[in-house]
Formats: sequence, C-alpha cells, structure tokens
Amino acid sequence: MARVSHALQITDLVKRYPTGTEALKGVSLEIEEGEFFALLGPNGAGKSTLIHCTTGLAQPTAGDIRVFGHDAVHHYAEARLAVGLAPQELNLDWFLTAQESLEYHGGYFGMPRKERRERTRELLDTFSLTAKRHDRTRTLSGGMKRRLILARALMHRPRLLILDEPTAGVDVELRLELWHYVQRINAEGTTILLTTHYLEEAEQLCQRIAFIADGQIVAQGTSQELASEYGVGSLEDAYLELVGRKELSRAHIAGDAA
Amino acid sequence: MTATQIRFFSLLRREVNRFMKIKRQTLGAPLLETFLYISVFGAALGSRIDELHGVDYVVFIIPGLIMMAWAINAFSNNASSILQQKFQRSIDDQLSSPASPLELLLAFSFGGFARGMIVATLTFTAASILVDVPVEHVLVLLASLFLVGFFFAQLGVIVGVRAEQFDDVSFYQTFLLQPLIFLGGVFYSAALLPEPFQTLTYFDPVYYMIGLVRYGFLGYSETNVALSLLLLTLAALALFALNLRLFARGYRLRA
Repeated sequence: MARVSHALQITDLVKRYPTGTEALKGVSLEIEEGEFFALLGPNGAGKSTLIHCTTGLAQPTAGDIRVFGHDAVHHYAEARLAVGLAPQELNLDWFLTAQESLEYHGGYFGMPRKERRERTRELLDTFSLTAKRHDRTRTLSGGMKRRLILARALMHRPRLLILDEPTAGVDVELRLELWHYVQRINAEGTTILLTTHYLEEAEQLCQRIAFIADGQIVAQGTSQELASEYGVGSLEDAYLELVGRKELSRAHIAGDAA
Repeated sequence: MTATQIRFFSLLRREVNRFMKIKRQTLGAPLLETFLYISVFGAALGSRIDELHGVDYVVFIIPGLIMMAWAINAFSNNASSILQQKFQRSIDDQLSSPASPLELLLAFSFGGFARGMIVATLTFTAASILVDVPVEHVLVLLASLFLVGFFFAQLGVIVGVRAEQFDDVSFYQTFLLQPLIFLGGVFYSAALLPEPFQTLTYFDPVYYMIGLVRYGFLGYSETNVALSLLLLTLAALALFALNLRLFARGYRLRA
C-alpha cells in the first residue's frame, strides 16, 4: 500500500446546488499530514461548502475527496472517523446537557462507553466546562457553547480537525485560549484546517494559507509567498487585492493621509 | 458491542432521551387526552348507548384509542424531533458521523415508535384498571400494533424531513392524520353509518388499521383481517423504502 502523506486531498471538486448556483468550480487542494492550514476568502467564496463536502453535510456534484487516503464521498465511514468538525454555527442540541453532548457524539463515532466517559471528563476539564456539565446546552453562554463545540469536535480524537471560523464573536481571552489549545494539539500531530476572517489568526497559527474566491482556489502558499505573489507587503494587502478592495490597505490609507 | 451497534444505540438513545426529558408533554399529555376520551365518550356517552357488536361501548372504543395513541405519538415525535434538529442544525452532528442512512433512519423511526409504544401501553394499563379489556388474538394484536406504529413512525420521518417550519408538521397532523383517524371509526362502527359515509369510510386506510387492532382485542372485525395485515405490511415497507432512499440521497438533510 502506498504511503499516505496527505491528510486531505481534494481533486476537481464541483458543487452545484439545485438552484443552479455553482459554489465550487473544480477546487483542488492538498493538506499535508500534521499541517496547520488556513482557507481564507470572502463570504460566499465557497469555504463552508468545501468543508460541508468534506464532512458529508453536502454532496459533491463531481470530484474526489480523500481524507488520509479514504474516499470521503462514497465509502465515507473511515474518512468521517478521521475528521472532527467545529462548525461556524453553535449547533448544539438543546435537549442535551454539556456532558451528554460529548457522550452522544462519542457514541455516534462508535466509542465504547468507558472510553466515552473518560474522554468526556478529560475534555470538560480541559475546556473548563466541568462545573456546567449537567446544564442544558441552551443555557450556556456564547463562549461556553463555543468551547463545547470544539470539545465535541475533538471527542473522537480526529486526526484532521476542521475549524470553521472558531473565534467569530468570542472575546480576546477565549480567542487566545483556543489558539493555545489548537497549537498544542497541532504540535501533537493533529492536522488542522482553519477558516477565519481574522487574517492575523491565520498568519500566526498556520504554516500555509489558501485564498478561495468565487468557488476556486486562486492562490496558496505561506503568508510571505502570498504577499509576494500579489506584489504587496503583507497578507492583509494580498487579501485586499484578492477581494478587489486595495483602497482599504493601511499603506494606501497612510499614503492618502500624507 | 461493535462500533455499528454503539452508533445505532447512541442515535436511538438520543431520540428516547429527547422525549423523556419533556415527558409531561410527550407522555403525560397524550395519556390525559386518552383518559378524557374514555371518560367523555365511554362513561358519559356510553351510558346512553347499548352494546356494540356484543361489547360495552367503552370497551368497543378502547382498541381504537390505543391504536390512535401509538399512531399519533409515533408520527408527531419523529416529525418534531427531525424538524427541531434540522432547525437547530444539531442534526449535522449525526449526519457528519460514520452512521449510514439505514442506521440514521432506523434510529429516528424507533424513537417515535418507542414513544407510541409507551403511551399505548400506559393507555392499555389505565383502561384495564377501569374496565375489563379482553385480548382475543394476541399475535394479531401485537403484529397490528407493531405495523401501525412502524407505519406512522415512517410517516413522521418523511414529514419531518420535508418540513421547513413547525406549521408544516401541525398541518399534516391536524388536517390529515386526525381526520383520517377520527373518521376511521375509533368511536363508532362503520356498519352503523348511513350512506354515503359508510362507503367513504372504506377509502380511509386507518379504518382497516382500527379493524385489525379491534380484532386483536375483541375478536370482532368488519374487515378482512389477513388482507388488511398484508396491505398494512406492504404500505409500511413501501414508506420505509422511500425514506431510506431519501436518507441515502440526503434529501433536505444534506445540501
């Protein structure tokens, strides 16, 4: 068997919705095992659609998705076992407590009871949720819900963690806490795919970054490579070039002010 | 336990856990409703009605009430549960797991099935305390109730999957299910109806379901028991096959 070095390998992925909207237009992307990778793009660029296709929440129209070499579309069981998703929406089950949210999730992924209980205890403790373990999820604060979403994604010990805008709307303290945690698990070997609108987040955390616009990957590389590809001095300026808003660049504004 | 079994029982436990957490609404209310039917129709109205087909009126209506309890609870549980999870998007947790369409469908189906079974069992127990309820054909009774529960559980799943708002669920329950059940002869014998209502009743599929359950309890039926059982089995299997196809396609569940 060939050595598997790609955590995620997407080839010519097309997603056309029944309305006719083509959200992904032949996306190809490779993320190496152990990498911390960011996917940046404006709203509606196709980031969430790509994540949904990878995790089974959307059905691709064409193309191939492999997670650690496993087909994620047709023979998805192994692929899904390897992926943990922390979605953008706080999609917790209102009927469950924090503890049940984790235990049920572990069950959906086939974890035996003893292992579920131990892992639940560990994650509740890690994310400072132990005191709230018997509270229904709808009564938790926004920050606690966000922590629980991340804990749930990690419950079955995925090898590829997908974070879809994990720090949107969270306070600075929690953002830094989440950063430290994901950096730690990345250092321990978990591959991470991050989408974010905070460019400094991508720059600080990720080894490589891809720009997606209008359903296509338009550029990828390190932060410096992207800046030089667009002929600008920073990732932020490269992004503004991508979205056609270079007049918002700090350098541009400073030049105007001068 | 294998990983598949753990997955399936976790999915099913979530469904049972949901209705047990709101049991005043999901178990208590239907039980009270059935008790009120027995009191009002059985005790009050029944005192004015002689025996129907050789049994007291209150005993005559109990099989239909038990069937109605199972059917409505199986339906409404599944329709509401699926719609709520779609609405919160918490269903994504199950959909992004390795669970197959068959595992998901069976877990969603048996959640409502279990709720219907609990309410029907409690109704039977409560009715048995109040009056003497005979069970003439236990195998036909169990098979009929199982099939009725399964059929309405599937109907609940399909409505929950299709629904986009809570009004959609109540529409089917109020304007389709309850009229079919009430007009199917829960409270009366179709043989007593004048034409054209008697003939119209024969076009109501629930009439045959009530006939089966009543035969199981009382040993009396206005319908062909074997044919009704066969058709109910085929209808339940057809709905299950349709739902399985919808789940495999991800219809209104996956984008």
